[in-house]
Amino acid sequence: MLKYSLRRLLHSLVTLFMVLTLVFLLMRLLPVEGYYGERADKLTPAQKEAILRKMGLLDPWYVQLRNFYLQLLRGDLGVSVIYRANVPVKEILAAKIPYSVAFGLGALVLSLVAGLAMGIHMAQNKGLFWDKFWTWYVVFINAVPGAVYLLFIQLYGTSITGLPMLFDRYNVRSWILPLVSMSLSGIAANAMWLRRFMVDELNKDYIRLARAKGMSSRAIMVKHVLRNAFVPLANYLPASILFTISGSIYVESLYSIPGMGGLLVTAISRQDNPLVQALVLIYSSLGILGLFLGDVLMAILDPRIRLEKQGGAR
Amino acid sequence: MRLARRVLPVLLLGALVLTGCKGAGPAPRKSGDVVGIYSGELTTINYLVTATTAEQSVAANCIDCLVEYDNLGILRPALATSWEVSPDGLTWTFHIRKGVKWLTYQGKEYAEVTAQDWVDAAKYILNPKNASQTADIVYRVIKNAEKYFNGEITDFNEVGVKAKDKYTLVYTLEKPVPYFLSMLTYCPFMPVNGKFLQEVGDKFGTDNEYLLYNGCYIFSVWEPHNQQVFVKNEKYWDAKNVHIPRLIFKFNQEAATLAPELFLRGEITGAGIPTDALDEWMKDPQKSKMVRPAETSFYTYFYAFNFNPKFPAEYEPENWKIAVNNLNFRKAIFHALDRRAALLTTDPYYPERMINNTITPKNFAAYGGKDFTQIGELAEISNRDSFNPELALQYRDKAKQELAGKVKFPVKVMMPYNTGSTSWTNRVQVVEQQLENLLGKDFIDIIPVGFPPTGFLNATRRAGNYALMECNWGPDYADPETYTDPFYPGSNYNWPEMAEGYLEPNGKTKYQNMVDEAKAEVIDIGRRYELFAKAEAFLINEAFVIPYSVGGGGYVATKLEPFTSPYAPFGVSSLKYKGQVVLDKPMSTEEYKAAYEKWLKDREAALQQEAAKAKK
Amino acid sequence: MMTAKEKEVIQAIEEQELFTFAQYDPEAAERTGYSDYSYWRSTIRVFLRNKTAVFLLILMTSLVAFTFIQPYLPGQKDPIKIHIDPNTGLQLRNHPPDKEFWFGTNSIGQDLWARLWSGTRTSLLIAIIVGIWEIVFGTFVGAIWGYVRPLEAFLTEAYNVISNIPTTIILMLIAYILRPSFQTMIIAMCATGWLGMARFVRNQIVIIRDREYNLASRCLGTPTGRIIVKNLLPYLVSVMVMRVALSIPGTIGWEVFLTYIGLGLPLNIPSLGNLLNEGRRVMMAPALRYQLFFPAVVLSVITVSFYVLGNAFADASDPRNHF
Repeated sequence: MLKYSLRRLLHSLVTLFMVLTLVFLLMRLLPVEGYYGERADKLTPAQKEAILRKMGLLDPWYVQLRNFYLQLLRGDLGVSVIYRANVPVKEILAAKIPYSVAFGLGALVLSLVAGLAMGIHMAQNKGLFWDKFWTWYVVFINAVPGAVYLLFIQLYGTSITGLPMLFDRYNVRSWILPLVSMSLSGIAANAMWLRRFMVDELNKDYIRLARAKGMSSRAIMVKHVLRNAFVPLANYLPASILFTISGSIYVESLYSIPGMGGLLVTAISRQDNPLVQALVLIYSSLGILGLFLGDVLMAILDPRIRLEKQGGAR
Repeated sequence: MRLARRVLPVLLLGALVLTGCKGAGPAPRKSGDVVGIYSGELTTINYLVTATTAEQSVAANCIDCLVEYDNLGILRPALATSWEVSPDGLTWTFHIRKGVKWLTYQGKEYAEVTAQDWVDAAKYILNPKNASQTADIVYRVIKNAEKYFNGEITDFNEVGVKAKDKYTLVYTLEKPVPYFLSMLTYCPFMPVNGKFLQEVGDKFGTDNEYLLYNGCYIFSVWEPHNQQVFVKNEKYWDAKNVHIPRLIFKFNQEAATLAPELFLRGEITGAGIPTDALDEWMKDPQKSKMVRPAETSFYTYFYAFNFNPKFPAEYEPENWKIAVNNLNFRKAIFHALDRRAALLTTDPYYPERMINNTITPKNFAAYGGKDFTQIGELAEISNRDSFNPELALQYRDKAKQELAGKVKFPVKVMMPYNTGSTSWTNRVQVVEQQLENLLGKDFIDIIPVGFPPTGFLNATRRAGNYALMECNWGPDYADPETYTDPFYPGSNYNWPEMAEGYLEPNGKTKYQNMVDEAKAEVIDIGRRYELFAKAEAFLINEAFVIPYSVGGGGYVATKLEPFTSPYAPFGVSSLKYKGQVVLDKPMSTEEYKAAYEKWLKDREAALQQEAAKAKK
Repeated sequence: MMTAKEKEVIQAIEEQELFTFAQYDPEAAERTGYSDYSYWRSTIRVFLRNKTAVFLLILMTSLVAFTFIQPYLPGQKDPIKIHIDPNTGLQLRNHPPDKEFWFGTNSIGQDLWARLWSGTRTSLLIAIIVGIWEIVFGTFVGAIWGYVRPLEAFLTEAYNVISNIPTTIILMLIAYILRPSFQTMIIAMCATGWLGMARFVRNQIVIIRDREYNLASRCLGTPTGRIIVKNLLPYLVSVMVMRVALSIPGTIGWEVFLTYIGLGLPLNIPSLGNLLNEGRRVMMAPALRYQLFFPAVVLSVITVSFYVLGNAFADASDPRNHF
């Protein structure tokens, strides 16, 4: 497994290199006027040149690319040029990541607990009222764009319950609505998945055998079904945990949480190249790492699974 | 005519008496804190580099200039207590106020403000490595500054800014600039402490701890995307005229949408009321008492006829070129545009105050107690409404006759707009339907074409990719000359120099010759203004452009007392909270209008007083 | 009495008739494997058993039909026309819903009812075009990826790289380079939408290609073309229909998102994203909430219907559910 892991990680580095290079070149396609700021109309050509030179954009692209990788090899994520001019990207991220991770982990826990409970409830009432009721919830959350229902949650959530509309880190009550909003889709996904898994699993022969042996339903649930359910769960959990870093663009902007959500969009639209590169680097490597950790974890939990057979398109 | 003048402390006393009439004694007036929300975070507070209004607003409140405007728009001494100018108008000597201190963000004294600080600021700005976005403002007037910026000279001693001694600063200009004093209220002419600059290096202005303060407020807390807090500088040289103890701004991405609601809940002291929500406020008996018009700005908006059409063949640029060179065609549209209807998209309740009949807005410049827009032929233009359906139809019929057989009717009019702006998108539809209904769809066919906000002007105006388009221009200094730039050859607005039939024997257009003559007059300001007024009247009468509106405006619900803030046609003085007061409750529109009338009278009187003083 | 010779002859004849080798007869061979099972008929039968899905199908069909015939009905207003208040001569702004303007007017006096249907039309059209593109291009790439072994490594790597570039970057770049318009929107969504489909088809093909029943067919000498048409395609087609049904809510969601970050359609083209954004701006004023409410309801009905229909169809098309 070690050999496989090494090979896979090495291969990931190649993928990462290509992603970063491609994004780097794509960002250079953006109009150069994006760098001039508010007085673009009145700047003299000499000033425009000075601005571009300061951002290192006058070098040929391969020199820029080389500089970027050299800097990266030194462990330096670079310095923001527009979003917060002259501030190291590390500092910008360090201030934002804790918020997103805190909310993301909270929402993850909430969606696991509530989602699994809902899934079990659905499976136990298969075809009955509650199953259908929760199914409609799942359908609604999956089908309707977040922009729509999150808005209504904020609008009526604050006016009915009197909870604050704006996030204030010292006010615990202001954490409630954003946390709930962020976990809604996770709850739906977990519930749906667990329901399907349980319905399939309960029809399997080994469960029938256990039942025939006289095992109680509860014991079957805990010892067999749920235990097996954790194997696929373990596959996606690492990626989910890692990706709490990226935050939620809708929720964070609605409740004005100073997190990472929307940072990428802003960085791209402001054409802050170093910031974009850093974010792409982080998100891509976390994505690759998350998948890898998930596979490893799954292989550890389930001896039937052998990593070497996997691979291909992920 | 006396160019050399000395502003004595007596004048300063006069300023105090003036504000004294409005209730401010020697001690500051009682005022609450300002609490607001904002949606765009500052990208830097390096005032020597940035050209963004929000970022300059930090500097305006934290760093003082040599001179500043008061609430009536009169220039007053600030960090310079007095100044002289040489008879040739080239050398300006400033006497720096003694005992003013640079403070850190924690309020600790760092150093004294000296003349050298302005020299260090110029040195920083004129270093192309710092990529200052306002460097051109300095190097267009200061002697040898442009050469230094371009690397043609390397010795900074040759640049026209010098500290003669600790408290004497001398600027030497390239050529006489009658409006030089007004330029000094802008960020690139703010001081900076050279030692501090060297100490923090690249970090200068990246955070509130990497800035020094000598203005009315200290930026004490800055948590990006969370909050900004400014506290009053108790050691400020004019602390008695700073009434608001703290400015607190909280971040919210949806600030524009949420602010009105937060204001009603009493969580913030002021909110802009978006056009969409305005009806709601105006119709509510309680809320309508809290909302009032916001001040307009000196941005001028106008519809420009493009004489250098470069748009795609599908919009028939050649056809447009023939049509636009016909005066009656232009005048038909000029008089057909119902500016009030168009303005309803930004101000549905009081659009008249936004209408601008000239390019240079009212109350921008005045000479001899007379506003610039009331000088010469401009007076007639600025006192009538260009919208005149009968006249428009007459000109349309004439144009139809003259252009028959030469032009394909309806003439396609490509009108770009910014898809990121709701009001512009709405307006372009209003204008399209209004013009076509009045002039007839068989005469013109207005085709609105949307372009994204990013790179908008490059794709449209600057590329000549439009037929008729709403454009704007903001002043660079307090002189009517600044409003001629967009129409002067070399600019990329609407190329009036390419209009047919306006060439004069010297190879230049009539407008260019008029502007050149005005620009050359730097000594007799009265005549200078008359010449500029004549040129502007020509531009409008020949319908090269349709003056449309001023910027700013909109509606606010705010506890800030209006007309207490510095009034300035240019520069950052008007961004200051100095002199302002937070009232217990917001002013209604009626109270605001009354205050406005009073302010107009006060300003009139102050202008007369200044004019009388100048004559002496 | 038969002579021995006669007996011999008869025997010979009978022997001949009784024991002749049967000729191979494809028709007859086919008949042995015959059952009255028809894939599509069963799919429809199972689908029709789902009452909710049938109801939503009828609702959806009428809604979509209405969306497209609405402009031709009598008494409909132009979605772009700015209505003028006859009393004041000004734009009829933010007029609450009444008999004349069923859903009220927006902030410049345009009829919200007309705009809503026009917007639904726009958004649905985008969603359908993108959905079709996803099938065509996604399946094409997916099929090559799954079948053409020499290209597999290359396509896998390309997929890994492209899928690791944030979609936002690609969408924003396209939006910056082209002008915002109906076409740009479609190009932007098409540029990224096919990825998921390609991977999906490829995985299906890899799985199905080695299934026992295909192996069996191949052993029995069934030609490859026949395997594809009879064994692979029915399953894939049903899956694709489902993907399109599900991609419609997805595409509408993207449209709303792009509008939210300022890269949507030009504001003068009504679309669900634009209408929703306009409504969002006035949501703090209770009297104007209708401007948010109506688009939100229509959008939800459409996305939920397509989502449920897609899933119901997926269930119905799964042969395991046919008995």
